[in-house]
Amino acid sequence: MDEDRLRKLLHDARNPLNNISVNAELGKLTLQTQGDVDKAVAVFDKILGECRRCSETLESLSEAIAEEQQKGSAP
Amino acid sequence: MAKILLVDDDQSFLEATSELLGMLGHSVSTAESVAQAREVASGRVFDHVILDLILPDGSGLHVLDELEARAATNVTLVTGHPSVKSIVKDLYGPNISYLIKPIDLQQLQSLLDRPVAVEPVENLPGLHFGHLVGESAPMQKLYEMIDRVAGTQANVMLMGESGVGKEVVAAAIHQASKPAGAFVPANCGAFARDLIASELFGHEKGAFTGAAQRKAGVFELANNGTLFLDEITEMPIDQQPNLLRVLETQKVTRLGATSAIDVNCRVVSATNRTETQLAEQGCLREDLYFRLAVFPIHIPPLRQRSEDIPLLVDYFLADFNRQYKSEVGVDAATLDRLTSYDWPGNVRELRHAVHRAFIMADRNTRLLVLPDDLSSPFSKTGETRSAGISVGKTVEDVERELIETTLEHLDGDKKRAAEMLGISLKTLYNRLNSYAEQ
Repeated sequence: MDEDRLRKLLHDARNPLNNISVNAELGKLTLQTQGDVDKAVAVFDKILGECRRCSETLESLSEAIAEEQQKGSAP
Repeated sequence: MAKILLVDDDQSFLEATSELLGMLGHSVSTAESVAQAREVASGRVFDHVILDLILPDGSGLHVLDELEARAATNVTLVTGHPSVKSIVKDLYGPNISYLIKPIDLQQLQSLLDRPVAVEPVENLPGLHFGHLVGESAPMQKLYEMIDRVAGTQANVMLMGESGVGKEVVAAAIHQASKPAGAFVPANCGAFARDLIASELFGHEKGAFTGAAQRKAGVFELANNGTLFLDEITEMPIDQQPNLLRVLETQKVTRLGATSAIDVNCRVVSATNRTETQLAEQGCLREDLYFRLAVFPIHIPPLRQRSEDIPLLVDYFLADFNRQYKSEVGVDAATLDRLTSYDWPGNVRELRHAVHRAFIMADRNTRLLVLPDDLSSPFSKTGETRSAGISVGKTVEDVERELIETTLEHLDGDKKRAAEMLGISLKTLYNRLNSYAEQ
């Protein structure tokens, strides 16, 4: 099994999750302390972008796992 | 507020986190690679470094090797998996913390709320640099000076009348510089003459009769911090070369020791003499003066900032109320009297006056009660009564005070007084006649 590739994909999935977390905190703080809706909206757009990035990485991850399984089941 | 260096190759994380930390009141510098981090960090000292372990051009740990004042910096590694902890701990010791992705606000806050090697900045309302009270123009100028010198390693000489708060300003400079070491105050006038060298430089066990234990001197105690030498002119002139040598070499040798120890501290010295007096009275070697007074700061006397008196009274009052668990206030008339007095003993005298009035406070109204006569016995001696310049006096008033004080000082010798004042004898007589007529 190509462990390195899987590990890299897992690492890649963690980064957008991390950005979602930090940006969510930023959005929360922006609304609580500044009430700046425009800035908050920009932050939420970033969160959505990171969600897509995470989804893409998970997609490649599941493809990679499927490939590995096929290789494993081949004679 | 903490100074933070944030290093991560993910641009989006860098942007969001630095903004988040900024909103929490910290000052953040960012870098995307080891090379960039080195560039950003050169010559600067950070309270915290938050690092990604894996960067495009190498390990984040390389950044640590280059950090200045590494001991004073808290290092945090951002990692995706807790297992990294155990690996890195063996490499860099327990002084490292970890943020596990995904990072949230709570993690960041608990990290930054942790006590840093540097003592926390006490941001009491109205206190500048955690120590100083006052919003007047002379104080603003002083704050600017403190702020400037805090970013450097320069030795500071504080000058000002007795009671202006030289030690408090020294502590403020220490706090503003955020050094790793301690603030060590020492009074050169209080050392026994025979023991000065031992107090300053320390001694080994058995270095002289009575040296039963090895002792560290104040220079050693203040390593990486601030050494405050009050009444520097009280140091005997024959001891001054020893002090000079320590300042020049940044090495101190304990009495009886064979090898020197490196010391790195800012020396803040203080005197209540003026520069002219220092030069004329020969109580401080010239070479030592230049070493100590790289950055001289004059602290204004209280009478030049009388608008700060109500703020100081409030501050002292709050302090006494806290100490004695009481709620004494002050009325406008009392405040007026305190503000219009010229306080020759400066802030120290004001503090004592407030303390006394606090003890004498009216039990029913809970207000400060001042004595009939505010002046202290020390302010009545002719020698210390100098022409007090305060806002509201006319030029004529000040001139008259100057002439009268000069005459008093010279036992009424008008010829010498005229010479000293730089006016003709005739002018002096004219002035005195006009005063007699008034």
